[in-house]
Amino acid sequence: MKLLVVEDDAEAAAYVRKALSEAGHTVDLASEGRQGLLLAAGETYDVIILDRMLPGLDGLAILRTVRAAGVKTPVLLLTALGGVDDRVEGLEAGGDDYLVKPFAIAELLARINALARRPPGRDIPTTLRVADLTMDVLKRTVSRGGARIELQPREFQLLEYLMRHAETVVTRTMLLEAVWDFHFDPKTNIVDTHMSRLRAKIDRGRGSELIHTIRGAGYCLRAPD
Amino acid sequence: MARVPMNKANFRSSMLVFRSTSVRLAALYTAAFAVAVVVLGAIILITTRAALSRQFDERIRSEALALGQEFRTEGLSGVVQAVRERDRTPGALDYGLDGPGGRPLAGRLAGIATPLGWSRLTAREGSEREGLRVLTTDLPDGHRLVVGDDEERSEALQHTLIEGFAWAFIGVVALGALGGFGLSAIVHRRLSAMTEAAEAIIDGDLGRRIPVRGVGDDLDRLAMSFNRTLDRIAALMDSVRQVSSDIAHDLRTPLTRLRQRLEAGGDGAAGRAEAIEAALGDVDSILETFAALLRIAQIEGGAPRAAFRAVDLRRLAQTVVEAFAPSAEDADQSLELMEGPPAPVDGDPELLTQMLVNLVENALRHGGAGAAVVIATDHVDGRAEISVTDNGPGVPQAERSRIFDRFYRLERNRSTPGSGLGLALVAAVARRHGASVALEDARPGLVVRIAFPARTRGTLGFGNLPESPA
Repeated sequence: MKLLVVEDDAEAAAYVRKALSEAGHTVDLASEGRQGLLLAAGETYDVIILDRMLPGLDGLAILRTVRAAGVKTPVLLLTALGGVDDRVEGLEAGGDDYLVKPFAIAELLARINALARRPPGRDIPTTLRVADLTMDVLKRTVSRGGARIELQPREFQLLEYLMRHAETVVTRTMLLEAVWDFHFDPKTNIVDTHMSRLRAKIDRGRGSELIHTIRGAGYCLRAPD
Repeated sequence: MARVPMNKANFRSSMLVFRSTSVRLAALYTAAFAVAVVVLGAIILITTRAALSRQFDERIRSEALALGQEFRTEGLSGVVQAVRERDRTPGALDYGLDGPGGRPLAGRLAGIATPLGWSRLTAREGSEREGLRVLTTDLPDGHRLVVGDDEERSEALQHTLIEGFAWAFIGVVALGALGGFGLSAIVHRRLSAMTEAAEAIIDGDLGRRIPVRGVGDDLDRLAMSFNRTLDRIAALMDSVRQVSSDIAHDLRTPLTRLRQRLEAGGDGAAGRAEAIEAALGDVDSILETFAALLRIAQIEGGAPRAAFRAVDLRRLAQTVVEAFAPSAEDADQSLELMEGPPAPVDGDPELLTQMLVNLVENALRHGGAGAAVVIATDHVDGRAEISVTDNGPGVPQAERSRIFDRFYRLERNRSTPGSGLGLALVAAVARRHGASVALEDARPGLVVRIAFPARTRGTLGFGNLPESPA
């Protein structure tokens, strides 16, 4: 993927670039707002990673300008502020996701992948299929290998998120935000508990495993090779 | 040499008195009073003068009429006699009676040819009089009567009046100035005491308070308000100081551990990887503490009610119970929501959710295996309430007031993991919502009861409730 990172801290930027490059991405760096604005408006990127606090031009101002210019590239905002209002502000300015510093690289990678996979426009599929697992989002039914699986509402949401992001890693934080709307980290590992229950229903006794735990990162739903 | 600046300072401070608000007010008040006295005096003078001259003329006219009557009843000799008699009486008016052709018959004013009607006679030769106001009337048979009065008589009266007012004016100004400046000196002294206290506080004497005289007047009330403000600021500064030392203390332990771990490194590649893993764990817990502190600060410092909307506490509780019940079950604990009515409040759903999560996690953590945690909502008289009850060891009465403090941890929990910030965040969220937090004994266990104020929107409708994430 081709990524643009707008970050003024040279060391942090270099570190992020290295990590993203190692993950197979092409990375352009902009160290200040105006440069970032020019690149964002001129080049085509898959995802833009934008620091909220920049010298010269505020990250949110760049975001608004870029959106006003009709650029629809997904934008991941990075911030040192973790307040509720900060997140809402960022999303209102046209951001697609929000990550509070400091963050784990695994988290950043997972979120970039999730953003890049977003279906363009509002055309969201209502029938999802991964290997022999199918989900009808409207009828709220799930079946594997033709056999109906009964899920609790929250398990259904969890599986829907995994299926929409199949083949990519989703982190626990992403799941907390998307499924429970929790924008903070509870001390209890509720994601793992719910995941193990979901797994018991989806994978247990069905030959191949679809839900995989990715150590140090999160989970991945993928079809067996 | 050294005296010069001191004198200067004295001069400045005495000049300061004249620049004080109270002195300016006193001067203004006195001036307004003086103007009022002058205007009043002028009005009285003008009306008195008019009344006096009317009275004057009336007296002259009635004398002329009386003498004319005399002429008709007693004849010329009677009038001559009457005029002569009056001329001899001291303090009487001046008269003159002329016969036909201007022949003087009697009276001091006889023989002067005055025009008929009112006229003014200037001083005659040999007379000490300034001027006379005279009325000339015709009598039968060509006789003519002149009656006049000394104008000085009315002027003297007016002079007395003016003089009286002049004295009154001086008296008013003097009294006003004296009273005003005296009062302002008292006010100035008290204001100076306040200024002095404020200056002392600016210079760092934070314990200083503004003196209160105890008479309960407006200045006293102002001083008391200031003192309460200062008390509040002092308390806040104390808490900031407390928090900084708490942070220093509570972060030093994990930072020291981290340092030791990094220093020890680890043997071989596997050992090193393990050490790095452990070090990352340490850093994460430090960052978590920071994030929690920052969040509490943001909640406490945020504009109240900024992001408030209609929230049903019961719906939030359902989400939380549903999220945490499986983990609780896995740990041989139970978490349930009691039957109850919806509990609508105006609030920030995200903060309220976090508050509830912290209470639940706290109850489950301290309850240990077998813990049974029950959430209940209630809604009475427009006030919503939510309580979290556990059957754990509870909190000793003596420690209850402190468990919501930052970094406070019960003695018996010092060795278990936890930042000591979870309940501080609960308290901060409750404060932001104007809700009260009460701790009760569940025998055994603890009840944390959070009571919200009545909603201001006045509706119990749920039309504007946020979509539940389900």
